[in-house]
Amino acid sequence: MVMDKKGLLGQLIQDLCYLPGVGPKSAQRMAFYLLQRNRDGAKRLAETLLESLNKVTRCKSCRNLTDQMICSICSNQGRDHSVVCIVETPADVWAVDQASVFGGVFFVLHGHLSPLDGIGPDELGLDLLEQRLENKEIKEIILATNSTVEGEATAQLISEIAKRSHVRASRIAHGVPMGGELEYIDSSTLTHAFKGRKPI
Amino acid sequence: MSERLVSLQPGFLIRHWPYGETSLLADVLTRDFGRISLLARGLRKPKSKLAGVLMPFVPLLLSYGAGRGELHYLSHAEHQHSAFDSPLQGKALFCGFYINELITHFLHQSDPHPEVFELYQQSLMSLQNGAEVESCLRCFEVNLLELVGYGLDIRYDSQTHQLVEADRKYHFSVEQGPRESVYGEINGTTLHALHSRQFKDKESLLQAKKIMRMVIDFHLQGKLLKSRETIAKIIKHM
Ligand SMILES: [Zn+2]
Repeated sequence: MVMDKKGLLGQLIQDLCYLPGVGPKSAQRMAFYLLQRNRDGAKRLAETLLESLNKVTRCKSCRNLTDQMICSICSNQGRDHSVVCIVETPADVWAVDQASVFGGVFFVLHGHLSPLDGIGPDELGLDLLEQRLENKEIKEIILATNSTVEGEATAQLISEIAKRSHVRASRIAHGVPMGGELEYIDSSTLTHAFKGRKPI
Repeated sequence: MSERLVSLQPGFLIRHWPYGETSLLADVLTRDFGRISLLARGLRKPKSKLAGVLMPFVPLLLSYGAGRGELHYLSHAEHQHSAFDSPLQGKALFCGFYINELITHFLHQSDPHPEVFELYQQSLMSLQNGAEVESCLRCFEVNLLELVGYGLDIRYDSQTHQLVEADRKYHFSVEQGPRESVYGEINGTTLHALHSRQFKDKESLLQAKKIMRMVIDFHLQGKLLKSRETIAKIIKHM
């Protein structure tokens, strides 16, 4: 409908609204900026977007997004390939890698078990993970799925699979955030923190 | 739909979806108002305190007000017990998801069913306490259907109108019920077990599962239970 009234410009504004956190107002600002003030940038953006759409797929080894067959993390020989960190999304890979506490490789599930949505082991690529675990290359997996019921369920299932392949599995600790004051923490987080306590 | 504020209403989270950038849309089973839709605004923001509270299979107390149409705005949520000691684990957890899917199919929005709420709570508790999952599920199914008006009439042979006998064999069809036949695939004991909700052996559990699957599929009128197939695959991996 917008298209009828305002033509291509209207369509562009409408399409920009697909972006997370972008409402009609900012979409309008973006559209005018791209078309009036930075036409070169706009052209590059359009080309890169199209090229990414065509070329970015899932890494054959870890399912992270990449424009190669094997992503740069998996092909980095400087990393420890015997430890695999299992995460729900590519954004989680980014987050863990930014923290630079982890020098191993990843496996991206692209979600968590969600039976009511029909998301099970196949959708999460667990067959591929199982194959990799069978390869004997992997000594340990670290389960970094979200601390939700579904994330925990997913971690539980993967730890069972790891056990069968005789691979050690551990779960990242969830609990009191750094700088967090106890009285402001909800009871289930606090429960988690107590259960996951360790000697000092 | 209630216009007033509802305060500390007992409820369970049945299903949820992300909503916008930072909010969550929840399908909730409440004790007094049935299944309702709740919008939890800002729940997915990093510092939201509600995120750790609003989870499935945990008894909640929910406060909410009227929103748009059938949608209510959540204002507060807490756990009914200060801490939940033994969450569902393993197979029992996945059975919980299956139970949730049945609730979404067999309860209409805003149709109060305190007895279903009670049944749901009881079933979760038995699952949590390590009850045998298959018999727990069959009891939930047969009780749920009865409470929403699809009770099973399996005490009498549909043709002879005689009481079903433990040592005879029966055919079962959803529309007609049991009918005695030497080639019947269902034992009389299974029908007795379903009727009394007491499953004593593996065979009657297996047959009861077949019957309940037929009955549920019949009432779903072609809709599929997504969790059924998915859970079967999950359990294969366990
Ligand atoms: Zn990779």
